[in-house]
Amino acid sequence: MKKTLELINRMQAEGVIGKYAIGGAVGATFYLEPSATLDVDVFVTLPAAPGSSLLSLTPIYEYLTARGCRVEGEYIVIGDWPVQFLPPSDALEREAIAEAMPTEVEDVKTWVMRAEHLVAIALRTGRAKDQARIVQFLEQNAVERHKLDEVLTRHALIPKWQRFERKYLKETNE
Amino acid sequence: MSKPELRKKLASLSFSEKINILKKLRRRSLAIAASGLRPSKTNPRQK
Repeated sequence: MKKTLELINRMQAEGVIGKYAIGGAVGATFYLEPSATLDVDVFVTLPAAPGSSLLSLTPIYEYLTARGCRVEGEYIVIGDWPVQFLPPSDALEREAIAEAMPTEVEDVKTWVMRAEHLVAIALRTGRAKDQARIVQFLEQNAVERHKLDEVLTRHALIPKWQRFERKYLKETNE
Repeated sequence: MSKPELRKKLASLSFSEKINILKKLRRRSLAIAASGLRPSKTNPRQK
């Protein structure tokens, strides 16, 4: 992971990408116990190409393949880890990148999404594994409820949260 | 150690230590996948 993050940071320093934040299972591992995952989700802001409003991952792939990384489907393998670069698809993901927490892995600086954003994104995505992860966050008191409520309100996720609560939390509390 | 205590202990490790565990978990998953020990996802009724 050290090599992976060093290369991503270099790519950022050279202006190929803007701010980034680790999300998904690796991001969740910052707050919870480690759980098996095969890849790293890196949410990344991309500078728009001059004269264009379109965002493209091509500069990332060109930069990394020129430095020996190989493409495998939707991933690019950096060091030992397949990495998926994900431009933010909405305001929630843009906010998650902007407010990411700085941390270090083996003395390499990096950024991880805040727990409340990881939970909100998992809620919105809604697969079984995302729902299980939300329960883990709550069981381990890894989210600040008032901050989570603010994020859910800001991104119109309260109705979805209420459905999630009814389905997974109310029953276990009875 | 109970399961909740173990989970709490694992959650309290540093991010670097957790990433090392992730690396081992990933290697194990890949080894299991390569060994063919996982049952086929094909529904036998469809054969």
